[in-house]
Amino acid sequence: MNASLRPRLTACLLPAVTAAALIVLWYVIKAAFRVPTFVLPAPHEILVAAWEERAFLWPAALVTVRGALLGFSAAVGVGFLLAMALGFSPRIKASFYPLILVLQMMPVTILAPIFVLWLGQGLPSIVAITFMIGFFPIVANTTMGFISVDRNLRELFVMCNATRAQEARYLRIPGAMPYFLTGMKIAGTLAPIGAIVGDFLAGSAQGGVGGIGYMTISYFSQLKTPALFATGLVACLMGFLFVGGVNWLHWRLLHTWHDSMVKKE
Amino acid sequence: MNAAPVVKISGLNKRFGTGPRVLDGIDLEVSQGEFVSFIGPSGCGKSTLLRLIAGLTSASEGRITIDGMEPEKAREKMFFVFQDATLMPWRRVAENVELPLLLRGDAPAHRHERVGRMLEIVGLAGAAEKFPWQLSGGMRMRVSIARALSVAPEILLLDEPFGALDEMTRDRLNEDLLSIRSRDPFTGFFVTHSVAEAVFLSSRIVVLGANPGRVTAVIDVPFPYPRQSELRETPAFLRLLATTAQALRAVRS
Repeated sequence: MNASLRPRLTACLLPAVTAAALIVLWYVIKAAFRVPTFVLPAPHEILVAAWEERAFLWPAALVTVRGALLGFSAAVGVGFLLAMALGFSPRIKASFYPLILVLQMMPVTILAPIFVLWLGQGLPSIVAITFMIGFFPIVANTTMGFISVDRNLRELFVMCNATRAQEARYLRIPGAMPYFLTGMKIAGTLAPIGAIVGDFLAGSAQGGVGGIGYMTISYFSQLKTPALFATGLVACLMGFLFVGGVNWLHWRLLHTWHDSMVKKE
Repeated sequence: MNAAPVVKISGLNKRFGTGPRVLDGIDLEVSQGEFVSFIGPSGCGKSTLLRLIAGLTSASEGRITIDGMEPEKAREKMFFVFQDATLMPWRRVAENVELPLLLRGDAPAHRHERVGRMLEIVGLAGAAEKFPWQLSGGMRMRVSIARALSVAPEILLLDEPFGALDEMTRDRLNEDLLSIRSRDPFTGFFVTHSVAEAVFLSSRIVVLGANPGRVTAVIDVPFPYPRQSELRETPAFLRLLATTAQALRAVRS
């Protein structure tokens, strides 16, 4: 076998083997203890339920993805701009950063009913909750990026009589990109969770379609356990979708130069 | 070289905050076309002196003028080469060299032509499209020098630029620096720990003592430019090396 191929094969093979072993264990436990399906469905029953419920799950997934995407985009946009303000002026940072921390300490389960009071049931509240969950990691990381500019590079810009706008454009923003993307990665994993939690707490089936969180409650109350598990599967796929998207962006922006991407011999 | 002094330092004192004096009573006049090295033990303030000339930090007492101007106002005449190459990792080699021209608003065509010429001068024409991580330490330093020269500064300030490089690379870069200077003349200020480097490059060596930093000796280096690498093996060079080393040792004890 080719030596360079082996690590890649191991990287694919090992998790597959582990997963297969766990699935076997699942079946064994279910059979040995005679666990009924409404408590623990077998893996194939979950897949069957996902297929049978596709007419409900697919639109629900779209609703949740829409909420997650809107909330995530708002978190990225607002987070970046706020981080820029915080990073550029120590005074603004001193004034606002502690307050942002306070906001972050507030559990989203407490914020959710407040949003519902203000914005009503439905998409606006879900977006607001997703935003609240994804916003902080982006602000915290990106602010760090704007602050930790190499001192010599800053002095280089001073020697060039660079304006503040030039310093932002050519030095601080590109320098903060790795940090920004790290924040985006964290926010990206949280976005679908935020949208589902939001849907759980503030969702509605107005217009006939609820999100994944709404479907979870619905299946739970009907004791449709395989379908309940299937919502988990859908949520998982959504998470991978978001992380995949951010990873792609990370690669696009950094693969030419950043330590996390370049292969050094 | 009897031109009026370009850089005039008089009664210069520097302390950071309420700390002790880092530099004490520095007086120095440097004329156009000179190459002055600052050498001294660690903590003698030689890098601080360079940063003062660049206007990157300000004097506690006394005064520095560049062509009669405050250093902060004379920045377009100067450029600074830092201890490490200080390249922007996300910009390609050519883009790094281009940066100062871009910041001062030169036209793209002029920038392009200038960058090409600078990279040729430092022998990196083939590396224009590479990223800094793809280069060796010596090559990165060449890029840094090309960037500094891109704006054709009248005064070039170099803060131990070759300190982290091996001796062969350092010697080579010393020779290259002098040959560049013979084509694009600049007044040079050079901070170094290396006596050999100081003697090879300079027209004048300023020896600084520590605690506080004071000028303890000024050594004129009479060898005419252009200097070739063979100069290093001549008895006159070796004698001056010894003289300078002694002056440095006198500071330390």
